[in-house]
Amino acid sequence: MEKPVYNTDIVRSFVHWSLLWGLVAILVGVIVSLQMVEPDLNFPPYLTFGRLRPIHTNAGIYGWGVGVIFATFIYMVQRLCKTPLWSNKLAKFQLWFFNATIIASAITLLLGYTTSKEYHEMEWPIDVMVVILWVVFAVNILMTILKRQEEQMYISLWYMMAALVGVAILYLVNAAALPVSLFKSYSAYAGTNDANVHWWFGHNAVAMALTAPPLAMFYYFLPKTTGVPIYSHRLSIIAFWSLIFMYLWTGAHHLLWTPVPDWVQTLAMAFSVMLIAPSWGSVFNGYLSMNGQWHQMKENYLVKFLIIGLTFYGLQTLQGPMQAIRSFSAFIHYTDWVPAHIHMGTMGWVSMISYASIYYLVPRIYGRELYSVPLANMHFWLTLVGQLVWSISLWVAGVLQAGMWNATNSDGSLTYTFMETMVEMYPYWWARAAGGFIFFLGIIIFIYNLFMTVRKGKDVVAPIVTAAGRN
Amino acid sequence: MDWAAILYLGVTFGLFAIFVAIVIHTCRDKHKETGEAPKYTMLEDD
Amino acid sequence: MWEKKPLLLIALATAAILVGTTITMVLPFAWVNTETDRIASVTPYTPLQQEGRDIYIREGCNNCHTQTIRPLVTEVLRYGDYSKSGEFVYDRPFLWGSKRTGPDLARIGGKYPDAWHYKHMDSPRSMVPKSNMYDYAWLRKSTLDPVMSERKMKVLGFPYTQEQLAQLKGKNELDAVVAYLQKLGSDIAWRKAAEVTIVGELKNPYPDTAHRSMEEWEVIYSEHCAACHGGHLEGEIGPHLDGANYTDEELFSLIFNGIPDGGMPAFSSLGTNKVWKITNFVKYYVQGEDHP
Ligand code: HEC
Ligand code: HEC
Ligand code: HEM
Ligand code: HEM
Repeated sequence: MEKPVYNTDIVRSFVHWSLLWGLVAILVGVIVSLQMVEPDLNFPPYLTFGRLRPIHTNAGIYGWGVGVIFATFIYMVQRLCKTPLWSNKLAKFQLWFFNATIIASAITLLLGYTTSKEYHEMEWPIDVMVVILWVVFAVNILMTILKRQEEQMYISLWYMMAALVGVAILYLVNAAALPVSLFKSYSAYAGTNDANVHWWFGHNAVAMALTAPPLAMFYYFLPKTTGVPIYSHRLSIIAFWSLIFMYLWTGAHHLLWTPVPDWVQTLAMAFSVMLIAPSWGSVFNGYLSMNGQWHQMKENYLVKFLIIGLTFYGLQTLQGPMQAIRSFSAFIHYTDWVPAHIHMGTMGWVSMISYASIYYLVPRIYGRELYSVPLANMHFWLTLVGQLVWSISLWVAGVLQAGMWNATNSDGSLTYTFMETMVEMYPYWWARAAGGFIFFLGIIIFIYNLFMTVRKGKDVVAPIVTAAGRN
Repeated sequence: MDWAAILYLGVTFGLFAIFVAIVIHTCRDKHKETGEAPKYTMLEDD
Repeated sequence: MWEKKPLLLIALATAAILVGTTITMVLPFAWVNTETDRIASVTPYTPLQQEGRDIYIREGCNNCHTQTIRPLVTEVLRYGDYSKSGEFVYDRPFLWGSKRTGPDLARIGGKYPDAWHYKHMDSPRSMVPKSNMYDYAWLRKSTLDPVMSERKMKVLGFPYTQEQLAQLKGKNELDAVVAYLQKLGSDIAWRKAAEVTIVGELKNPYPDTAHRSMEEWEVIYSEHCAACHGGHLEGEIGPHLDGANYTDEELFSLIFNGIPDGGMPAFSSLGTNKVWKITNFVKYYVQGEDHP
């Protein structure tokens, strides 16, 4: 059979741009972490904490997270379907429209045009752009799957398809708004309803953008790297159905003890705990795929990123359900514990898997060997240490803070004023900034290594070049 | 039991039945080969 | 079955997603914001308050401040009565937030006089030195736009009068923010209900130690009172204080319960012990004699 000619140029472009937005997200992350300890680093009106924090989160999720999704999905779908991308023109449009959307988001957020809804801050004209972007992407991927030359559908394709539909439904429903002008709108829902709809969106954005796609990548890049198949495809299928079914019930675990109806909270709590099963289904599947291959943990930097990334996912999906229990939520909700949870997911799981995917892609789409493996190892350690310093310092901070907020004297009065609790946070916030800086050094080395690979890397032998499909 | 509780139980069992059906469908022996095939084909050279 | 049929797989996946969605997201609309939630005293925002709310959103205050109080003992003690669904029916979007880098603001309305807010927004660290909230004095420089405001009120369906719109002229953005803050959580009369009554006889636990522990007491005074009454009790937002005017018990009760209608916050949450220390500090402070 004639080898199909895969579209590799577009994968390259998405890799480049997602790296740029990832760098921006992390840099702004370091900046906001410093603003929290040194308020004089605010420069109103544009560069204040209140305006920069959403830029950090959205650049992280949509620029970095979704950018890598675009790159890897387009790469994976062609190979898993043994067929070229359905439309190269559409993909090209998608690339430029993606960048236009990210830039428009950054500018409007700096100018203060925001809905205030977390991870959905962009005003309605940008929502329209996001919808167009996603439709174009989804159509291209789905059409490629429909005209595939390989009958089998590997589990990564399943997760990809679920993510395509999931994000579309979530985003559209939560975007409903009454526009006042081009840059101002009011939510279509009010008060408690708005909160419930929003966190249904918020939590499942985590599911459909930060869980399903990295799982698709993990299931693809781990076997490709180690050369042995995953432990059980059927286990991955059972985990798939349970995961996408159960996630959607859990949004209200962000709203425990609030005026949202109690039964909604209770359902969210129960389903969050049950989510441990499908999450750990994937984790076990990953670990068991390493049977007989554990020596690669030492030898292969790619395996390190993938397996430690998966480990963070495993920890994340144990910690998450714990936070979803009413009594625990009463304690840690609103504290610095929660950012520690978030960043174990985003820096540990999402970023590590994204790094691994890009390390796998770049040599193949450029037909070059990686410039330096020692640098890649160094990147691994900086990422791991940076993330651990970040999260551990804030877990400690969160518990301390929660303890102080809840402390009472013998006469029933509060032991600490708000400020007495807040000043205790400063040392931990400094440590977090330091952890972030270490992580930031990691991505700088990563980008340097990739740059040198493209500029100076040795050409690799034939098989990988064909994989790159350049002509 | 009022109708809400019956409905509630019914839905719960219904959902569980679907889950069991999926597990059986996926895991039965007949399905073993086809079920596991994709993990080998995805490893083919591309 | 679906293993080799992408369209079927997508249809089934969509169905799976829609079950939880329908039950936990669509269904609650039947209960929330209906007549059962409604609280008669809760009113929509005025044009000025709504402008303030929009500025609050624009500046991302919600990234540091939450606006919902949970029914937990210490939380109610610290911030006031817990939040009710009916209090949020006019909130588009909701502003409950997810992180308390600063204190909850759900019941900030009426806690302080306007003058406190202006001073605080101008420069939080002038009042609370270790705060990480940055200065918002620059909001004073921008004015409000009645035309835009009218459009907003129409979209929201809130009642307004031409007079209210006319009043926006000459006001600046900071005025709007303060008006909004003063409205927050004050639609229900919770302050009166929350007043703590002290049981038993009041007895000063620190009689005659007046001049020995003044240094320690002053620290507490500075933290809680100086922003309004001045470092030397000379008065600023609140009046000049002269300990000679009160008996121990009067002063203690004043501080413990505050003067809710006069802009003097209650300090019952500090506990009786601290309040007695402050009482004695105010009582025996003589400027120029104790402390330079
Ligand atoms: C970087 C985080 C941060 C941002 C952004 C922020 N604040 Fe604050 N805010 C704080 C902290 C910390 C405190 C407690 C110390 C103090 O009073 O300054 C506080 C206190 C307050 C208080 C007094 C609360 C009380 O009960 O004493 C008000 C009112 C307030 N902020 C309003 C605002 C408004 C309005 C904005 C947006 C324009 C805003 N804040 C933005 C951190 C922040
Ligand atoms: C938010 C500003 C503010 C803070 C903080 C504050 N006060 Fe006041 N205080 C006021 C105002 C305003 C009044 C005048 C109320 C009135 O008379 O209606 C007042 C009145 C008083 C009075 C009665 C004065 C009179 O009219 O005789 C006393 C005593 C007093 N405060 C003591 C304290 C002490 C002690 C503290 C610290 C624990 C404190 N205040 C903190 C604003 C404040
Ligand atoms: C150097 C690395 C990073 C640093 C220093 C950093 C720093 C921060 C800081 C200071 C906050 C605000 C926390 C608070 O308000 O208390 C934050 C929030 C957040 N960051 Fe990061 N971050 C980093 C990496 C990332 C990455 C890579 C992502 C996403 C892919 C991400 C996603 C988020 C999200 C979603 C939030 C919102 C938290 C919430 O809603 O409570 N961060 N980050
Ligand atoms: C079984 C899986 C998981 C469960 C049950 C879960 C549960 C939770 C809960 C209960 C919260 C709210 C904490 C609070 O505010 O009190 C939360 C916050 C969050 N989680 Fe998870 N989590 C899970 C997995 C993940 C994963 C894999 C990620 C990937 C990055 C993630 C990212 C986040 C983010 C970004 C937030 C912050 C939302 C916000 O307040 O802004 N979670 N999670």
